Amino acid sequence: MLLASMQDVIFGYDREPVVNRLSMEIYSNEFLALSGPNGAAKTTSLKLLLGILKPWSGQVQIKRNEKGSKPVIGYVPQQVSSFNSGFPSTVYELVRSGCHMNLGLFRRFGAQQAQLVQSSLEAVGMWELRDRKIGELSGGQKQRVCIARALAQEPDVLILDEPTTGMDLESRKGFYELMRHHVQKHGRTVVMVTHGLEEAEPYLDRIIRLEREEGGGWACLTTSSCSARFGPEE
Amino acid sequence: MGMFDYEFMQRAFWAGGMIAVIAPLLGVYLVLRRQVLMADTLSHVSLAGVAIGAVLGFNPSIGGFIVALLGALIIERLRRNFRGYGEVSVAVIMTGGLALALVLMSMSSSLTRSFSSYLFGSIVAVSSTQLWIIGTVFALVIIYWVTMRRPLYNLTFDEETAQIGGTHVRWLSQTFAVLTGMTVAAAMPIVGVLLVSALMALPAALALRFAKGFTSALVIAVAIGLIGMFGGLTTSYYVNTPPGATVALLLLTFLLVGMGIQRIYYRLNRNKNDGYAPDIDSRRFWQRQNRSEQNSKVKTQVLNKR
Repeated sequence: MLLASMQDVIFGYDREPVVNRLSMEIYSNEFLALSGPNGAAKTTSLKLLLGILKPWSGQVQIKRNEKGSKPVIGYVPQQVSSFNSGFPSTVYELVRSGCHMNLGLFRRFGAQQAQLVQSSLEAVGMWELRDRKIGELSGGQKQRVCIARALAQEPDVLILDEPTTGMDLESRKGFYELMRHHVQKHGRTVVMVTHGLEEAEPYLDRIIRLEREEGGGWACLTTSSCSARFGPEE
Repeated sequence: MGMFDYEFMQRAFWAGGMIAVIAPLLGVYLVLRRQVLMADTLSHVSLAGVAIGAVLGFNPSIGGFIVALLGALIIERLRRNFRGYGEVSVAVIMTGGLALALVLMSMSSSLTRSFSSYLFGSIVAVSSTQLWIIGTVFALVIIYWVTMRRPLYNLTFDEETAQIGGTHVRWLSQTFAVLTGMTVAAAMPIVGVLLVSALMALPAALALRFAKGFTSALVIAVAIGLIGMFGGLTTSYYVNTPPGATVALLLLTFLLVGMGIQRIYYRLNRNKNDGYAPDIDSRRFWQRQNRSEQNSKVKTQVLNKR
């Protein structure tokens, strides 16, 4: 099922367009990688899709679910600025704040949520470090905590911008497994920007490559798709 | 205790107590969002409001209040335009506000005397009208914080992820700025324009050094604010020093002593704990893999469709 799409999107930060007539589609329940060389506007494309940036022209659409509400999106950015300063928060508090996005302003943080936070932290192997201050963690650990926070949101769609940066090989593989698990068992959609395609390929359903157009801008798009994924799930 | 025999001292303690709760509370968020200079700027801007009020002949406090609100909204607006270096907006507004205040002040000579009470704060300056203003602002800030503390945390941590997570970042950021403006304007008569930001920044600065988590940071900041405020007011009564400056110096002393103690503590504890951070092994991901059944292997074929 089509989850989100972009059509003929043109966008630039100043006068020059960075994204030129970009079209892509994201289907629900797939593990999708967005790849391309540096400066190929991968992050920009994601932000356009997420609605953080408004395109100059073209359409960005996100399908609403059966209940008529927008899908819950868990986003893990490339860098989180607050991590650099001594943000006074424990790992647990941060991941718990992921739940708050669903709970709204007043609904209580109950046992079910506590369970969710625990399983999210366990999934990324950070449960033992839950009482640590996030400023004290290493780069890879911060990345994991961010992933756990996104998981605690119980998202329909997980969008990750170069999530494996700073992870060792084993962690990366484990991470792909984890994402695969979420796609298969929890019916989620995972979109990730990555450079490590060779490694990730066995786990992926589809790859979108952003490439340089002949004669100028970073724009053109190639979709490498896997036909096997569009049938019903066993 | 002779101090509380005077009604103005009772009022000062009430007003000071309420400000000492809300200013450090907002201060923690401001420091973390790198907006701590906003308090300083707003206090200068609201000085212009006080001057406008005096020149045009209405209550200076209300003039300062309104202008602080407007200033907060403009700063917030400019901050979005100068993305990445939002401090520029602070510099712009600060210059404008202070220049306007000085020019207006020169227009009416009667202002100059009462101005010093706005600049440096005075216990006697707390009228019952101002006490009502402070009480209202206190109630608003507390209600706002109680309802909005979850989105505020998310906003403070990272605006982008908060926005995607469904937080109305813009609205939240603006209302927060407005409340900061209100608090600054309300705190003016007590601590004075020049030291408003001390009450927001110093407790937060100390709390951020010691607190393990976010909630504890807020609690510590408010506690330090209250101790500093009551200690400063008492000292100022007995030693007859300007209250704002006394409170600020006391807070600064807390900060320096706290930092010193922390340093010594770390040095003493260095040997026992070699600073090794237990890095949970990366095989955790694998465990999950082993736990889940392996029968559902996805055969993926990647075709290059060009």
